[in-house]
Amino acid sequence: MLKWGSRHADGPQVSPPAVPAPADAVVTSKVFPRFLAAVGHAPAPALLDIGPVVGSNVTYFGERLACKLYVEDLYSDIEAHARRGERAALASFFATRLKLAPESVDGILCWDLFDFLDRAAGQVLAGQLARLLRKGGALYGSFGTTPLELTHYTKNVVLAEDSIKHRVSPATPVTRTVLLTRDIIKMFDGLIVAESMLLKSSTRETLFRRP
Amino acid sequence: MVNIGTIGKSVVIKGELCASEDLTIEGQVEGKVELKQNILTIGANGKIKASVFAKVVVVQGEVHGNITASEKIDIRDAGSVDGDLASPRVAIADGAHFRGSIDMQRGKALDVKPGDAVKPVVEAAKPASPAAPAAPAPTALVAPAATNAPR
Repeated sequence: MLKWGSRHADGPQVSPPAVPAPADAVVTSKVFPRFLAAVGHAPAPALLDIGPVVGSNVTYFGERLACKLYVEDLYSDIEAHARRGERAALASFFATRLKLAPESVDGILCWDLFDFLDRAAGQVLAGQLARLLRKGGALYGSFGTTPLELTHYTKNVVLAEDSIKHRVSPATPVTRTVLLTRDIIKMFDGLIVAESMLLKSSTRETLFRRP
Repeated sequence: MVNIGTIGKSVVIKGELCASEDLTIEGQVEGKVELKQNILTIGANGKIKASVFAKVVVVQGEVHGNITASEKIDIRDAGSVDGDLASPRVAIADGAHFRGSIDMQRGKALDVKPGDAVKPVVEAAKPASPAAPAAPAPTALVAPAATNAPR
């Protein structure tokens, strides 16, 4: 008899359906404008983007917010670990990955990074990110709600405050970690949910604030 | 006519490089590069391990170190920067490599006034022949070793 949650090594493996790699798509966001407004309140905001650098985003944030932008591409870290077969080590890796001082940024762009992490790594990273946020700061993230196999990463190109273009690049496949809303809230301990919106794409956009 | 100096690709400079004319670096520089009122272009063959200060910085090669520009930093598609950027305008092309922070806060970037004297450690960086041997740089060109370690 199998224990609850264990995998049957010899039985047929049922893989979740893979997400088809879409062509570049433009999505409308209702939460991202709120994020920009929240960060824009700071006189000289500091922003942390944990996705890959996107030149047009740098220009956009520079013109819109005149901010200091930190770029830490954690997707590339995840991919590097995945290729080495070391996803399980991501939790300990993220515990020391971000070197910024506590409460040093006004805004954090997480994009959909947590879809690619298991619960342990997600928990560690969420704690680290919450630690970096100043009082009144905002964190923007999106969380998939269906357990699909992810075969690509998405680069988010900001076209306008409510319009984001998705550009895909291949990823080492992994099953998306689906988190319940209450689990997400628990994960970002110390932050509160200011906005949460379920999109037609079954993705939940969430804006956290540090009170 | 605008003077544009060139550091050829076989030239290696260790120390402090200052100039009061536009400069293209195709060689290697370690230490500090300062062209406060001019345009610095790091060519496709250029490899810089230095802190860089200029009015405009165009990166087509590799930079390990912080870049400060009073007007603009432009990292082209083949360019690579590991370091922090400070400038009111920053352009990063698709395909460029960048790792670090970008400071676009108004009024915090390098403030260069027209009257600022840029000490001409180099009167003019002499165009170097690409075929020139990788000899130590002339002393007129290089100030004592810079203390600014790249990031």
